[in-house]
Amino acid sequence: MVSIANKGRSLWADAVLRLRRDPLAMVCFTIIALYLLMSLLCATGVIFTDYNVTDNAQAYQPPSAEHWMGTDLFGRDVMARAAHGTITSLIVGFFGAALAVAIGTILGALAGYFGGKIDDLIVWLYTTVDTIPYILLVVAFSFVMGPGLNTLCLAIGLTSWIRFCRVIRSEFMKHREREYVQGATALGAGHLRRIFIHILPNTFHLVLINFSLGFVTAIKSEVILSYLGMGVAPGTPSWGMMISDAKLELFREVWWGLAAATLFMFFLVLAFTLFNDALRDALDPKLKNR
Amino acid sequence: MFKNIFVILATSLALAACTKKAPENDNTINYGLRTNLKALDPEQGSETSANEIIPNIFETLFEYHYLKRPVVLQPLLAEAMPTVSKDGRTYTIKIKKGIRFQDSEVFPDGKGREVKAQDFIYSWKRIADPRNKGEGWWIFDGKIEGINDWNAKLAKGGKPEEVNEAFNAPISGLQAPDDYTIVIKLAKPFYQLNNVLAMPFASVVPKEAVDKYGEEFMNHPVGTGPYKFESWIRGNKVTLVRNPNWHGGTYPNEGAPGDQEAGLLADAGKPLPFADKLVFHEIPEAQPRWLNLMKGALDFGGIPKDNFDNTITDGKLKPEMVSKGMKLWTFPSLEVVYIGFNMADPLLGKNLELRRALSLAYDGQTARKKFYNDRATIAMSPLSPDIDGYDAKFVNPWKEFNVEKAKEHLKKAGYPEGKGLPAIEYNISGSSTDRQMGEYVQQQFQKIGVQVNIISSSWPQFIERLNQKKAQMFGIAWVADYPDQGNMLQTLYSKSAAPGPNNSNYNSKEFDALFEQSEKIPPGPARIALFHKMRDQFVKDVPWIPTVHRLNDIIYQGWINNLKRHDIIRNSYKYIRVDQAKKAELKAKL
Repeated sequence: MVSIANKGRSLWADAVLRLRRDPLAMVCFTIIALYLLMSLLCATGVIFTDYNVTDNAQAYQPPSAEHWMGTDLFGRDVMARAAHGTITSLIVGFFGAALAVAIGTILGALAGYFGGKIDDLIVWLYTTVDTIPYILLVVAFSFVMGPGLNTLCLAIGLTSWIRFCRVIRSEFMKHREREYVQGATALGAGHLRRIFIHILPNTFHLVLINFSLGFVTAIKSEVILSYLGMGVAPGTPSWGMMISDAKLELFREVWWGLAAATLFMFFLVLAFTLFNDALRDALDPKLKNR
Repeated sequence: MFKNIFVILATSLALAACTKKAPENDNTINYGLRTNLKALDPEQGSETSANEIIPNIFETLFEYHYLKRPVVLQPLLAEAMPTVSKDGRTYTIKIKKGIRFQDSEVFPDGKGREVKAQDFIYSWKRIADPRNKGEGWWIFDGKIEGINDWNAKLAKGGKPEEVNEAFNAPISGLQAPDDYTIVIKLAKPFYQLNNVLAMPFASVVPKEAVDKYGEEFMNHPVGTGPYKFESWIRGNKVTLVRNPNWHGGTYPNEGAPGDQEAGLLADAGKPLPFADKLVFHEIPEAQPRWLNLMKGALDFGGIPKDNFDNTITDGKLKPEMVSKGMKLWTFPSLEVVYIGFNMADPLLGKNLELRRALSLAYDGQTARKKFYNDRATIAMSPLSPDIDGYDAKFVNPWKEFNVEKAKEHLKKAGYPEGKGLPAIEYNISGSSTDRQMGEYVQQQFQKIGVQVNIISSSWPQFIERLNQKKAQMFGIAWVADYPDQGNMLQTLYSKSAAPGPNNSNYNSKEFDALFEQSEKIPPGPARIALFHKMRDQFVKDVPWIPTVHRLNDIIYQGWINNLKRHDIIRNSYKYIRVDQAKKAELKAKL
């Protein structure tokens, strides 16, 4: 059996190949792509343009041909609200995760590369932050900064970087003693050059996996915070807000709001999680040649 | 089937946070507060939830008869109703002998000390002390001889000794010639004095406790009431236990017509209080409150808007609830719910046409149906129904729902189609229902091109924003403190601006003049005519959009006896009796 690694492809080309051979990963990828496409079309006003059109005479209409997922308290189309909720989720997911990964990577790189006092300081920082329950910290952030999309991205980003920081730190500790880094040092490369040009690209697969993990966490956090009334500003379509409405409406036997928000969230989070697994399998060199 | 699964999921989620074990002693009354509590100090007692608790711990000179309607005052800590001098300016009040404060560590031997006339004067000075920023200053402001000078001296500040001396300086209008006599001299006639002295603000508090605890007094209340403070777990619950040294009282022997038939006189003459323990649960969300009521963890409570159709048909309780022993008590609230504009705000306060436009754009009928299940009267002004001076036929021209007209006025305001107008901040307290109401307001104004940002905060934070005059626009209700339209209208009097009850900081010379005039004359047609003039001034200036006057539907358990809620009678818990045998029997059915 010839291992694919022997053919001398780059890690990335290798990973793409592995992913393409994994049918589940491809299905998940397609789902994520569809979500992206849908939110793009929503954002540009091509589909589901009626998400904010209220018609109080049409409140709480059950699913029908006109409204596939029924209407909400204000007679708005639930399907359109849920579709637009995707935009909120993806924005928060992307920026929240990007911020967390950026902070985690930079701090982790510095700690792992320099070691010593800098390492002590950064480890002290993240262990301290880590002792505070994550959700409480996010809640505290949104309390201080007031609700809104920006706050949400910031709060999630500033509280969920610890895991990434740890991973990157240990990776840098491993790499800083490797021959190629020593070679770079011998050639006169400075600290920054060694960190960002030499070592970082070699840990980039971890950054990517972490980013994708962070994405799922951020989406879930957005829903929880919006449910608790500390997420996006009221009036913005959001799955969390829809679930919060649903907890009141279920007694009217209005189940479609909850169903729509839950299903939209379920497929996105499931697709992301499964895709993550596949991505890790594809990118982690240790798992190669299985 | 599908939907049932969701119901089960949601209920288990909602209950996870607030499941309570049944206490061993079941002679307990459990009530669910609609908002989180800020303080248990009578001085800060301007909110409904705090006033649910405070009158059980603290007491006033007078109280309202529990059963008689319309409400009647009677002595509580006073020996009798006051004797009033011929000119109506001097009130002499004898207080009961032998009233003791609750046992507490603040007293030298832990035993409650006897209440003296000086204690009342101390407590009222505390309300009038500008350093405390109390919410009740308006009840004495300008009404008692010398109190404003005293207040001004304290407001000046200075060294601690000077300020203390200023505090201890006598007020000519508040005197205690002996330990059991209080003499109040009024600066001007004030016909509501007795009513004001029955409000929780005017409760007697021991100086020892305030000195010992300082600002922490709000977490360690000590009073004279039938229940003693036991514990307060912030954001969760307040527990009160029976005060063994209470001065006593008996259940009334007479009531309003129909009370006998309703069984409200069955306990006539029996000693109070009946329950051993009161537990107030802070449950801001409507659904967990309702679910706890349904499983018997709470003894009574209102019906959330989304549960109304499943609870009441044709004004009656559904048979399945009746079979569980539950009962319905309906009464109109003496109140007005409104959307207030902050008149101190540079944008909204200065632009009358803008306020008119917003008022015209608000569809009150749909809101009434959507949020109140039509169990409310559309409000046209601050005047409350069921109090003399309310005119059901009055129509406020700016309350007409007319989008076209609203757009015209928006143009006159200088913002055609809303162009150039910054988004307006609408402040609400944080429950899901409040948020939905906020979204509704947002949608209404969006129709004429006005953008609204909703600022949602917890109830204590929300009140703080109002008190600091930071809220640009807000949704709130004012419930009458005593049966007088003057109490409703003082929410617009400039001298009671925030942190007083005038949350919109409305400041109109014409209105103030009318209000001050109305305070000088006794209740009667002439005073009502002035109320109507004030109402007209209110309509002219549009400082609020009055929305509704609610009708309260209270569900209570079969084991609860003697329940007769009324907005003004706040110390009703001592009269409520829990039938423990029936509770055990009925609870098995829930």
